[in-house]
Amino acid sequence: MKYEYRFPDIGEGIHEGTIIKWLVDIGDNVNEGDSIAEVETDKVTTEIPTPKSGKVLELMADAGDVINVGEVFITIDTSGEADETEAQVDENEEIVEEETAGVVGEVIVSSEEIPPSTEGIVSTKKAVNKKKILATPVARALAKDLGVDINEVIGTGPGGRVMKEDIRNFKDSLSEIEEPKSKVDEVSSDFVKLEEEVSKGESITRVPLTRIRKTIAEKMTQSRFTIPHTTAMDEIDVSKLDDFRKKYKSILKEEDVNLTYLPFIIKAAITALKILPEFNASLDEENNELILKHFYHIGIATDTERGLMVPVIRNVDRKSIVELAKAIVDLGTRAKENKIDLSELKGSTFSITNYGSIGGYYGIPIINYPESAILGLGRVVKKPIVRDDEIVIAKILPVSLSYDHRIIDGASGARFLNILRELLTDPELLLLKS
Amino acid sequence: MINLTYDVIVIGGGPGGYVAAIKAAQLGAKVAVVEKERLGGVCLNWGCIPTKTLLHNAKLYKDIQKSGDLGIRGIDKEKLNIDWKSFIAHKDSVVDRLVSGIYMLFRKNKVDLIEGMAQIIDKTHVEVNGQTLESKNLIIATGASENIPDLPGLKDGFDKSLLLNSRATLQIEEIPKEPVILGGNVYAVEFATLFNALGSNITMIFNSDGILSTVEKEMSKTLERQLKKDGVKIIAKAEIKSLSYEGIIADVKGKEKIYKADKYLLSLGIKPNLSGLENLNLKLNSKGFVETNEKMETNIKGVYAIGDVNGKYPLAHVASAEGIVAAENIMSKVSKMNYNHVPLVAYTFPEIASVGLTEEQAKEKGHDITISKFPLSANGKALSEDDTVGFIKIISDNEYGEIIGTHIMAGNASDMISSAVAIMQLEGTVFDMAKTILPHPTSSEIFMEAAFGAIDKPIHI
Repeated sequence: MKYEYRFPDIGEGIHEGTIIKWLVDIGDNVNEGDSIAEVETDKVTTEIPTPKSGKVLELMADAGDVINVGEVFITIDTSGEADETEAQVDENEEIVEEETAGVVGEVIVSSEEIPPSTEGIVSTKKAVNKKKILATPVARALAKDLGVDINEVIGTGPGGRVMKEDIRNFKDSLSEIEEPKSKVDEVSSDFVKLEEEVSKGESITRVPLTRIRKTIAEKMTQSRFTIPHTTAMDEIDVSKLDDFRKKYKSILKEEDVNLTYLPFIIKAAITALKILPEFNASLDEENNELILKHFYHIGIATDTERGLMVPVIRNVDRKSIVELAKAIVDLGTRAKENKIDLSELKGSTFSITNYGSIGGYYGIPIINYPESAILGLGRVVKKPIVRDDEIVIAKILPVSLSYDHRIIDGASGARFLNILRELLTDPELLLLKS
Repeated sequence: MINLTYDVIVIGGGPGGYVAAIKAAQLGAKVAVVEKERLGGVCLNWGCIPTKTLLHNAKLYKDIQKSGDLGIRGIDKEKLNIDWKSFIAHKDSVVDRLVSGIYMLFRKNKVDLIEGMAQIIDKTHVEVNGQTLESKNLIIATGASENIPDLPGLKDGFDKSLLLNSRATLQIEEIPKEPVILGGNVYAVEFATLFNALGSNITMIFNSDGILSTVEKEMSKTLERQLKKDGVKIIAKAEIKSLSYEGIIADVKGKEKIYKADKYLLSLGIKPNLSGLENLNLKLNSKGFVETNEKMETNIKGVYAIGDVNGKYPLAHVASAEGIVAAENIMSKVSKMNYNHVPLVAYTFPEIASVGLTEEQAKEKGHDITISKFPLSANGKALSEDDTVGFIKIISDNEYGEIIGTHIMAGNASDMISSAVAIMQLEGTVFDMAKTILPHPTSSEIFMEAAFGAIDKPIHI
């Protein structure tokens, strides 16, 4: 039997992916759960496992091709497999392919959903309403003409019947959503003009955005245009912390732990978050409520070849400094090697960006929406400072704290930095308090 | 906290109020209805039902007169006469049966009936016969009364029973010999039809260009011709000036004329019954009726207004539909009134019935339309029943063929219109109607024929 495997919905609202590499060839025998292809989506690169065992018949796309969720991308001859139990399940619990009438042709949405990890398949079955939708003859005709998927329209007639007015209203609401597109058109027409101008002896190169770059662009725009950012900055004398760190650095090196400033800073930040919970929160604009989170998952902005990624260290408050140091290295390495799971890229409640590791001093970090604050760390430098009325050389850590000014006042921003300063200038106090 | 006795008190037990009360009770509310006269309101007691009963008798009388043409022998037309008192008695017995049915329905649905005049204290308190009732919600269903224009002699004539409203007309001692009917609306035309059939010499006087000014033109014109043929004098474009013992004085095309009658029947519109509601400070529309939204809510939270008192459509079936919407909203169900497909019927000979837009209205609204007509004279059932005066006219929008207006003139147009209402409510098209298999022979087949006509050509013409 020929099994057509449709590109599955791997969650996170991902609609398409690019096949980086096929891991199987035509004629190969595959077992259920075997990885068949490496696929890059706008969030992550992941290996797609096959849900069926058998012999690979066709590969419907080449490496580099973009495939949409729901498109058949591999076919497998499953006739060699006599999996009675599975057939049984299929009979009782039919996986229905939902057909939706789209504007251009028909999109068949795969009813299979798999997690992006390679741990195996979790067969989730979507409840699909296959019943013919209740609608009037005119509503059906109108939906067809306007390219509206009548299944998506909520009917206001008796018994939920979709009336012609519902189709019109639905279409109008779609047009409203689509409106920003026209703005993009305007902008792109500006670029067309630009192209005309530079054609006089100059040249430009058009580089298509990678999926990750597109996502970053969207996220940054969303954050910057939703949250009124404000940034508080300070310089913290980390001389003692540096001494403390150096004292144990070599010991821990033997355990393969690289003890940097970052785990200490994370610890100090958690202590501040516990005292000032609005920094570990999100604003629910719709309901006018502040969502305070009673868990501490810290996103660590990481520079990778493919662009900015923010892997998350979970339950930071329950980890020791050494454990944090290990986690930072592990996630950082895997992010750079593109071996990270989608699940490790979400759920952060507060983020830290360490541009100092590359060389920056102050920055105005953009909040990782929908969080309420982000801490930026600059490069630690030796600076003359006044300590006990004497000019001494100290190790200075410049910090920049951006926060959501809708829910956090300037005074709180200053308080947060005061806590950080107090703890980071005195590592023993930090250990006592965290 | 006040523990309110009722969830809903309905003021008025007409077709709006009693239906609202039953619906609210069925949805679990504790309900009381305050009624100052008889349950059933104008419709049952002094309107729809009595006139239809009398019209049926009148039709029978007419049919018997014609029956000789069909070969029925032994009827002496000279001896044929009407016992008006028996007509009235029969009408009363029909009304009594229906009204007692509502009392029974109230008991069955545990709706409390409080007889008396309601005086509203505030939006949660109503006083009836010195007793104060409490309720979370009020439904105002007080109806409307005849409008007596402020013209010399009219009020006086009304008080002296020379000028009769519909209620008084239905209790009249004997058939008026030469009545003058003031007005050209549905009620005026129905009384004209009734008394004309019973042998009265009728004059209709009204201001508009023709009878039934809101009805589809071709139908109202045809009916007007039919009435004239039957001997009804129709004085259109007349401005009524005054009433005295000399008669009605009217300005007709610049000339003052006097119309003398034994009875003057009043049908010049209605005005809302607002007495007892003063304390609510309800917002009224420009015509003085209580303003309501599509949920039948007034400007006062928890106070709803349904039926004639809101002035939308002075029709029993609209009042009932509004009553259900009000009850559902009170009981937290999503419910809205849709007035797009309200059928309108005039019980004339032949009847006329309409739903949706007329040709003029459709064009005004910017529809690109097709008009398809089919005459009753090409219909088998109509011929066999010797009832061939009439036609159907359907107006469809060319985009999808949706039927947006249906107008029927036929002996039983009131029953035929229902299929049009149903198909239009479902946004059906001429294609749907043409595909519908209708029983043969029935006069309703003309609907299907007209649908074929809208698409291409009717079969039987």
